[in-house]
This record gives sequence, C-alpha cells and structure tokens, in this order.
Amino acid sequence: MFIQGLTDEYVDYLKDESRLIGYAEGICFPESEAQVQEVVRGAWQKDMPLTFQGARTGITAGAVPKGGWILNLSRMNRIRALRLDEAVGAFRLTVEPGILLCDLQRRLEETAFDTADWDEESLKALARFRESGPHFFSPDPTETTASLGGMAACNASGARSFRYQSMRAHVRGLRVVTQRGEVLSMRRGELVADHGEFSMHSEQGTVFTGRLPGGVPPKVSKCAAGYFLDPSMDLTDLFIGAEGTLGVITEITVGLLPLPKTIWGVMIFLPEESAAWRFIQEVRALQGKGGADLLAAVEYFDGSALNLLRGIHGGGMDDLPVLKERWNSAVYVEYHGEEEPLEQALEELCGCMERYGLQDEDAWIADHPRERERMRLFRHAVPETVNGLIAERKKMHPGLTKLGTDMAVPDERLEEMMRMYREDLNRSGLESVIFGHIGNNHVHVNIIPRDPGEYEAGKRLYLNWAARVVDWGGTVSAEHGIGKLKAPFLKLMVGESELREWMALKRVFDPKELFNPGNLFGV
Amino acid sequence: MHIVVCIKQVPDTSDVKINPETNTLIREGVVSIINPFDENAVEAALVLKEKLGAKVTVMTMGPPQAESALRETIALGVDDVVLLSDRAFAGSDTWATSYALGKGIAHLEERPDLILFGKQAIDGDTAQVGPGVAEFLNLPIITYVRKVEVEGQLAKVERVFEDGYERMEAELPLVLTVLKEMNVPRMASLRGRMKAKKAEIKKWTAAEIGADPENTGLAGSPTKVVKIFSPPKKVGGIKIEGTAALDAARTVVGKLKEQKVI
Ligand SMILES: Cc1cc2nc3c(=O)[nH]c(=O)nc-3n(C[C@H](O)[C@H](O)[C@H](O)COP(=O)(O)OP(=O)(O)OC[C@H]3O[C@@H](n4cnc5c(N)ncnc54)[C@H](O)[C@@H]3O)c2cc1C
Repeated sequence: MFIQGLTDEYVDYLKDESRLIGYAEGICFPESEAQVQEVVRGAWQKDMPLTFQGARTGITAGAVPKGGWILNLSRMNRIRALRLDEAVGAFRLTVEPGILLCDLQRRLEETAFDTADWDEESLKALARFRESGPHFFSPDPTETTASLGGMAACNASGARSFRYQSMRAHVRGLRVVTQRGEVLSMRRGELVADHGEFSMHSEQGTVFTGRLPGGVPPKVSKCAAGYFLDPSMDLTDLFIGAEGTLGVITEITVGLLPLPKTIWGVMIFLPEESAAWRFIQEVRALQGKGGADLLAAVEYFDGSALNLLRGIHGGGMDDLPVLKERWNSAVYVEYHGEEEPLEQALEELCGCMERYGLQDEDAWIADHPRERERMRLFRHAVPETVNGLIAERKKMHPGLTKLGTDMAVPDERLEEMMRMYREDLNRSGLESVIFGHIGNNHVHVNIIPRDPGEYEAGKRLYLNWAARVVDWGGTVSAEHGIGKLKAPFLKLMVGESELREWMALKRVFDPKELFNPGNLFGV
Repeated sequence: MHIVVCIKQVPDTSDVKINPETNTLIREGVVSIINPFDENAVEAALVLKEKLGAKVTVMTMGPPQAESALRETIALGVDDVVLLSDRAFAGSDTWATSYALGKGIAHLEERPDLILFGKQAIDGDTAQVGPGVAEFLNLPIITYVRKVEVEGQLAKVERVFEDGYERMEAELPLVLTVLKEMNVPRMASLRGRMKAKKAEIKKWTAAEIGADPENTGLAGSPTKVVKIFSPPKKVGGIKIEGTAALDAARTVVGKLKEQKVI
C-alpha cells in the first residue's frame, strides 16, 4: 500500500489537470477505510502533511502535493450498498470515494453492480430498482473521469446543475477520517449546528466542538469557494466543498433521480451578445410559468467561441453544421420532463424568439439522442479548442497557461458582469472566449495569451474582475474550487480576518494543519 | 423546380448489439433513425431549395411507424412528405421497393426534376434502390455523387471513384445517389419541429398509386433469401513481437514476399 520516496512511475501523481507540479515524500493507495485510518494516524505521529487525491481532474491544483505523503483513493472504488428510502420513494447509493463518475453512470445505465459484498437489504433494493425504470445521478462536471470523493470535496456541478443543483444537494451522508485517524459518520438531517455552535462525536468517542465563522455568504446559486457556513447548517455540508482541509472522505451516500422521460436540447443563435444576455434572462423568467420549470440547463457561447468553431470546420469537427456569419452568440437550453408540458415550454421559447426577431433557422433542436450527442460535441469543442491553442502557444512560451475564470454573481448583476467582461476584453485586445453556465450567472472567461506580456495583462484583468464580482456579492469560484491556485481570490472574497476564523475551524479537526496544506488558505 | 428525396427508416446500427448465442441482431430497444446517407440527400435537396427556390418532397415506403422519419424531415424544412404504406408492400426486396417508389413518384402531381437517394441503406447495404427507381422511371442516373450544382436544366455533378472523381453534366430530370462527404446535415429547427408535430402526412396505398399486386411485396420480389448467416469471424493472423520497429517491418516484408504479395 505504501511507497516511500517517489520513483519515476509515480511522477504523474505530482500533478493534476491544472498542470502545476508538486513534490512529495511518499504515496499510498489504501483499499479500505481501516487502511486510510492507519495512514492518517501514522501521519499524525510523524507530523507528516497529507494530500488527498481522487482522480486528479481538478484544475485548481487541489490534489497537487506540497511535500509530505500523498493519500490516493483510486483503489477505494466499490459501490457498497443500495437503499430505497421508502418515505420519499428515492434510491440512495453508498460508494467509496475513488469510484469514477463515468463508471457510476455506466453501472446505473446498465443496472449492473458487483453485488458480491452487498447485504440483504441492498439486494432487495436492487430488485426494486430494476423495476423502477431508469435512474441517473445528476451532478456532472463534464469531466466524467472525476471521482465521487473529489466531486464531494469540491462541491462539483455542471450544466444541469441549473435545475438539479450541485453535488451538495445529492449527498445524503458521508464518512470522513479526520485527525489521529478518527472517523466521523454523518447522515443528512441528523446533526445540525445550533446558532452557529456545533458539536460532533467521532466513532472513537472524541467530541469536536466549535463555533462557525460568521460572515455573509455570497448570494449566488452555485458556489465552490471554501466552507459552506450557516448558523443552523447540516454538518454534512461542512465537509462538502471543504476540499479535504478537514479530513478525507471515505464513503459517500448519494441520491439518485428517475431519468426524465423526454430530454430536449435547443441551441439558439443571436446576432448580438447583448441581446443574448437579455434573452437569457427572459427565458429564465419563464421559469415557473407554464411548462418552463422544466428548464434543466442554460448555457452561453460568445461570438469568439463561435468564431473558434468556424475556424476548425473541416479540421476534425466535420460533424458540425455550418454556423451562419450573422450569428454572434449562442444560447443552449435543455428541457427535461414529460412530452406534453415540454411542448408548451417550447411554445413559450418560440414566443420569446419572436420578440427578439429571430428566424426559424436561428434555433436548432435536438430531441433524438444522436442529435443531442452532436450538440454535446459542439459544446465541448469550445474548451477543447482553447486547450489546443494554449498547448500550441506553450511551445513558444513554456510559461503560458490558460487564464480561466469561474466566478458567479447574483441574478440582478448578470448583464453588468457580462458587459464588464466584454468591454475590458475589447479594450485589452487579448484573445479570449466566454462560455458556460450562464443560467446560474456563471460563465468561464478563457483568456488565451499569445506571449508572457499578455499573460500578465490577463492576470491583472482577472484580479480586477474578482474584486468587482466580490463587491457585487458574487463568488470567486462557482464550481472549480479554490485549491491552491485561487487561494488569493478566496482571501479577497472572505477577507483576512474571517479567513483566520476559517483556519480556527479547520484546526478543530486538523490542529496540526496536516490535511491538504495550501488548499483554501494558500501556501 | 421539384426535388424528390427517397428515404428509409433503419435501425440505428451504431446502437445494435448482437446476441452472442444466436448471432442475430437484438432489435429490442434499438432506436430507428433516418438512414444516414439519406440525411445527406435531404440536406442536398434543402441546399438546392435555398439557392434555387425549389420545392422538396420526401417519400418513403415502409410500415406506419416510418411516419416519424418523415416528420423529422419536415422539421428540417422539406415542403411535403408521402408515406407509401400498405400490407401489400410487406416483404419487398430491392426490385419490388424500386417498383413501388417508382409508382409513387409517378403518382405525384408535380413531376420531379431531380430525384435524390442516399448511396445505400445501412441495414441492407445493397445500393440498388436508387438505380432501380431510375430504371422504372426511365430516367438517367449518376451514383456516388459528392457534389451537385444546377444551372437551368443542367446538373453539374462530381461522381467519386475509389481513386478519384469525374465531373459530369446531365440534363434534368435526373436521379442521383449521394455520399456522406456531400455535406453536413443541418439540425432541425425549433419551429420546424413544432410544425412537424402537427403536419398532415400523406399516406398512399398500393391501389392508390396503381401498383400491380403481382409486382409488390413478397409476391413481387424475385430475390429469394436462402439462408442468413454471420460471416465467420476472422481468426489467426500473426503478431510480430519485435522490439525494434525496423526489425518488425523487415519481418513483415519477408512474409509478404513469401506470400508473393510483393
Ligand atoms: C475539462 C474539464 C472540465 C471540467 N469541468 C468542470 C465543471 O463543469 N464543473 C465542475 O465542478 N468541475 C469541473 N472540472 C473540475 C473537476 O472535474 C472537478 O473539480 C472534480 O470534482 C474533481 O474530482 P477529482 O476526483 O478529479 O478530484 P481531484 O482533482 O483528485 O481532487 C480535487 C480536490 O478534492 C480533494 N479530494 C479528492 N478526493 C478526496 C476525498 N476522498 N476526501 C477529501 N478530499 C478529497 C483533493 O485533495 C483536491 O483538493 C473540470 C475539469 C476538467 C479537466
């Protein structure tokens, strides 16, 4: 299980998708919670820092070690139990943290599980599950090789989080190994904070008590910027999004949802970006009226994103229909539900399009899985092409990386935020694309620097934007997390004095500050 | 100008699983799609429509559920659709299918100037129906087309071979079968989709198009299927496990010489 010293074959474990490279003295691959406890206990005795790793798809260097040992969870990847919560008629799946999202998705699709270690109740639930029609697990950060543990640690979300919310909403229970290898077991609804005070017992009998930091959380629908705090919060939520700074997640129970009968994707093209921003708000406002509460995703692509796609036509993305010259932005909406109310939602959408003077050919619809797959490729082509461009430019200037923002603002600031990005980018002359989950007022601005000078200019822009977003009550990270790379932004958002309170909270569980050093608090 | 496109609804073979015991297709749960090459034919027709202001009619012969394929093409922007559906058509081979489609086309009020087919259907892969229809209608045909332009009564066409292509010109009316590389099919438009849902579908029976019962369906099909089997799996082959690529390449060359291939 334990490998002392990091030989060549393990160097990959020093980095994640952020491409930042760290260093470590050893790495281990525990296969059970008991082994995790053993490692954490050993680290406590030796004052050894620990970095927890899921699948290393994170892009903020959260899983990149800064010395000490790496505790990699990839070998804890079993599905342990299935339950039917009779009270609400929902299925719950209990998994180890290392299971990959794509594996989980496939098992659910095929309703095929390795049941060798399952108890009687799980097998019974499985029989019911197979009779209950297809189900799915909704959090999907698009990178499906992410692990469930990593997704819980970062409170991951994706396009469909507009309707189904982030990972947090789907975690029903957790087991966490914390200081000295002690185990905290929690189930949603069982343990809550009381006027900001909390107290929890480990299975070994230790009591962890403390006071939650105050402060005003961002007023956004999606947030992955450190601790979730609320005076009467469920304590399960403290560990979701904590990025492994309070302990390591060894088991997760998640809720499953029945797969909607019908899924329709619509891609709408508009001649002007500012019209698109207003259009989005109108579509969103239809929510709750008629069939429009079936809206599951609202995504955005700016003019540069479309240009990027025009550029790769004939270059491997041949399956994309031609993008008309007059289109300068695109909005993707996805509806989930029953056929009849869906038809009505589409009627409303058509009405909206008419008010914007859009023509028939300005909206594509995908109601067939094959067509939806074409649209998915379209949406993925944008970040993929950006990454390709960066890789190309890195050859000339090895120091370049993509500058990607991940900020969200309250509903009423959407247009202001978009205008800020557009005006600043136009003025700077930097190459960029803007795309993402605009339904949650959350887009990714990707700056694609051509040289180190532009890289620095981009960083300055980014910092200015973060300050504005924080002023507006927004978050500096909506889904990617803080990790090590975005710690300065978290400080900007939370403030120095409150961050000290956060550290005090961390020390309740991790008094020696051994867990994931650098994450949230910086190095 | 009137363009007719003939399409076929086929099982999505990219989705098909084979029953390992019986070696037959598991058809349950397999979704039906428009034959992919036919989608290129529809797209070609729509592009010509946009350029020249043509009317596009799509026709299919098939069971009642083939109606959904026709609705899909309405969503793409075709003007009119016809479903040839009758028990009498059941069991048609390529000859009887060509006959029925030919009769159907002849029954259209407006004579077509151009009739388009996909190069072949992915479930049968015969590539015979396009030429068959041309024969029944006594029209010229160009197969394996990757490009078409129409100027007045003249079609300028690129027809592909294994090792090149030829430019051809032909007078309308004309039949073409088209390749995938011809275009990228568009996505259905939102409003088209709504319109398609409500659209009236013309359904014609064998009697209505004046098809002779002797020539339709199983009775009219000269093809007799004697036996259906999966071709034996390729077995064996030699794996050359050389360390260096150069050594491996030398061994391959040696073997090929041995077999007198080179
Ligand atoms: C192309 C691409 C697109 C992406 N798009 C999205 C997106 O749309 N939305 C989104 O939310 N994310 C997105 N991500 C980011 C990433 O997929 C998620 O952050 C994911 O949740 C991380 O999972 P992981 O298993 O790879 O975690 P890792 O990268 O291994 O770790 C992430 C963090 O979690 C901690 N951690 C991991 N496992 C545990 C555990 N068991 N206990 C405690 N801490 C743990 C690590 O220490 C680290 O701090 C994207 C990434 C890529 C490469």
